Amino acid sequence: MKQEIRRIILVLAGLCLVFISLIVYISYFQVFKATAIKNNSYNKRLWINEESILRGSFLDRNGQTLVYSEKKDSGYERHYLFGRLYSHIIGYSYREYGKAGLELQYNNQLLNSSENAAINELKNLVSPTTEGNDIKLTIDHDLQAKARNLLKGKKGSIIAMNPINGEVYAMVSLPDFDVNSLKEDWKNITENPDSPLVNRATQGLYAPGSVFKVITTAAFLEDEDLDTSYQCTGTANVGGYEFSDYNKKAHGSLDLKGALAESCNTYFTTKSIEVGKETIGDTAEKFMINNIIPFDLPVKNSQFPYKGALDKTELASASIGQGKVLVTPLNMAMVASGIANGGHIVKPVLVKEILSKEGKVLKTNTTEILSIATDPIKANMIKEMMVETVNSGTGTKARIKNVKVAGKTGTAETASGKSHAWFIGFAPADDPKVAVAVVLEEDDSTGGSSAAPIARDIMLHVINNIKE
Amino acid sequence: MNKRILTRSPRNLLFLFQALGIILLLIYKGKEVDRLTVGTAVGLVLVIYLSNYILTRITRGDHYIFLITTMLVSIGIIMIYRIDEALGIKQLIWISIGIFIFFSTYFIIKKIRIWENLTYFYLVGAYLLFIITFVFGDRRHGAINWINIGQFSFQPAEIIKILLVFILSSYYSNKDRWKDIKYASYYLMGIVYSFILLLFLQKDLGTALVFYAIFLAIQFIYEEDRKLILLNIGLFLIFGLLGYTLFDHVKIRFQSWLNPWKYIERQGYQITQSLFAIAEGGFFGKGLGLGHPDFIPVVYTDFIFSAICEEMGIFTGIGIIMLFMIFVYRGFKIAISQGNKFYRILALGISILFGVQSFIILGGVIKMIPLTGLTLPFVSYGGSSILSSFIALGILQICSEEIKTKEDLDEARD
Repeated sequence: MKQEIRRIILVLAGLCLVFISLIVYISYFQVFKATAIKNNSYNKRLWINEESILRGSFLDRNGQTLVYSEKKDSGYERHYLFGRLYSHIIGYSYREYGKAGLELQYNNQLLNSSENAAINELKNLVSPTTEGNDIKLTIDHDLQAKARNLLKGKKGSIIAMNPINGEVYAMVSLPDFDVNSLKEDWKNITENPDSPLVNRATQGLYAPGSVFKVITTAAFLEDEDLDTSYQCTGTANVGGYEFSDYNKKAHGSLDLKGALAESCNTYFTTKSIEVGKETIGDTAEKFMINNIIPFDLPVKNSQFPYKGALDKTELASASIGQGKVLVTPLNMAMVASGIANGGHIVKPVLVKEILSKEGKVLKTNTTEILSIATDPIKANMIKEMMVETVNSGTGTKARIKNVKVAGKTGTAETASGKSHAWFIGFAPADDPKVAVAVVLEEDDSTGGSSAAPIARDIMLHVINNIKE
Repeated sequence: MNKRILTRSPRNLLFLFQALGIILLLIYKGKEVDRLTVGTAVGLVLVIYLSNYILTRITRGDHYIFLITTMLVSIGIIMIYRIDEALGIKQLIWISIGIFIFFSTYFIIKKIRIWENLTYFYLVGAYLLFIITFVFGDRRHGAINWINIGQFSFQPAEIIKILLVFILSSYYSNKDRWKDIKYASYYLMGIVYSFILLLFLQKDLGTALVFYAIFLAIQFIYEEDRKLILLNIGLFLIFGLLGYTLFDHVKIRFQSWLNPWKYIERQGYQITQSLFAIAEGGFFGKGLGLGHPDFIPVVYTDFIFSAICEEMGIFTGIGIIMLFMIFVYRGFKIAISQGNKFYRILALGISILFGVQSFIILGGVIKMIPLTGLTLPFVSYGGSSILSSFIALGILQICSEEIKTKEDLDEARD
């Protein structure tokens, strides 16, 4: 008898456990999963509200219309005026393929609806929404078009931004796709091995090569005991691995400035061991490597896994931007901006203002400092080194007449054997108006020969044409 | 004074809940408040208030199980009416019939005292119902488990469920009757497995699982031959694996549970629509009439819980889960206090039936476990589900009373 009761209670306990697990699961679902699921494009509720609302337009920083919606008998029709140029920034909004880019991130603002359903319902009772808000970008349409032209036929990315307030003037990623012919090309786009859907500027992780030396230089400056003089013979053995300079060229006697200007690999690999992985890693993190970069579009984290087991060879490789270091082009544009801005790294901004249909400014993005990467004195020292790089080092092709340009080139070796060509920099060096990052993916050329001239044209255009 | 009346009995709290629900429903209907809605509302309140009142007069047994049931019924019908008025009225009719049948069951079971001896009758009845299903069966949502009589259709498995509980109770309550038959427990297991196999052939996986769970639990409590339980679990695993490899519909269910988003256009459609609804609802819900539960296929029956979560929030959802938990708890309490072994097992069987069935469908629609089509007892729309649930409830009601055995009655006569 007693045994029977014991077993009955055991079964009851089992059933209660099963019910409690239901409660736990549904709460977990609601807290952690629900938001992502709600925004899935297959959720018809997203569309039912949209069909009665005139979706907002996208404008460039000068007010030029880039995307707008128009009322037709069958509902609203969305016009993408520059199908390819903004495929990674503005993205698209289609019932069949869902949303991407700012069309996704700013969906609520474009529809003038709140994320909170209850508030929406109340609002609809008082005055139903019929018009969404417009979004004014920080992008300069002419520069964006120019940047795309400069990159045409290549793979890679260009970013130009204001180093002081973080406004992004241009952001190009190639290959791209035509938003207007998404329906016809969907299969080709998704199956293309070059992944045109990926925004390389924010989602592409590249070996930075020598442009990473800007960060390594900042780390070296942190170490006051470091003897910065060095005799370069063209090769150096670190931890049993032989590092060599480009074409095994011996640079002779060098200080830090000369090492950066000449992009001397053996200098950085040798000194990085003396400085140690902690200082280099900490400095890299101050430049937002390993950190989440808040942005209007999703950004992948740049990586430098220095906290784990990192032997001498791996550290030496990392110091010249090879091996375990991977960065996004946006992050490198921010590194250049940080040096330009006295060590302060500001949050990059893509959306300048949100405007109501009547033109009233509803929201303005403000400048926000994300990190203090180095102090103004050291930033100034690095800047002078970068100016030297452009004036007489590897970056001479970025020189602009009558303008002092600071920059750093990079040629990153890859597993495929074809190198990435890099350039990061800013101008004018003493009163920075623009910072750039250019990466040509598997271009098999040096950063100094192919990326630097592109960066030069971009910087020149900004200085001549863009007023704040 | 007012406050005391309102809170004095849970019956009044239930009334308060219904009143709030109905007011919301009327607001949602807006200007077109029609006589139909008001009529239905008054009907619902009257039926439920009166039946709760009558129950307290005729029985000194448990009053909570019926109260919990009427609460579930109220939530269900408000939701069904909100989605489709005609179905809501039909549901009210079914509930009224159900409550009538509940009382009838109560009196019939109470008056007739030979239930523990009818094992063979239940067996024959169950097999007959299975045969009827196969001969006259109709295919619906991929399962052959409906038969049509005139304009009504019903699911024989709903009745067989109750017969199964009777078979198990009559077998385990008086083992002496079977001591002449060698391996009687093995035969019983064979019979239950034949039921499960038949349900499997009808593609009614959910009900098959319910049968198995009831059997396993009762077996666990009462079977003296403990090896048999291990054998039962082992066989289930083997058959489960076999079913998975042999039958596509089992595989599809499993895969669309693991990753419904991959099959969102086809087999994952239902479950993803359900998840959208629950996700949209949040904790407090969108408000009655403000969501889109109509996007979910078969929302009145299997997916009623998702609709409730969308419009009333998962707090109401959790409330429903807890109501079922309390129901099961009361059922087990009834069983433990019941002196007569037959009625004790009957109470256990019915409590497990409600517990397992609600768990399988609730877990299914929130994607905690693979989805198998079942109704949520008392909440889902559907005649046979409502009727069989009320029959089971009537039986449980009897079990909550002190049962005088035949011997007791004989003694009293002497």
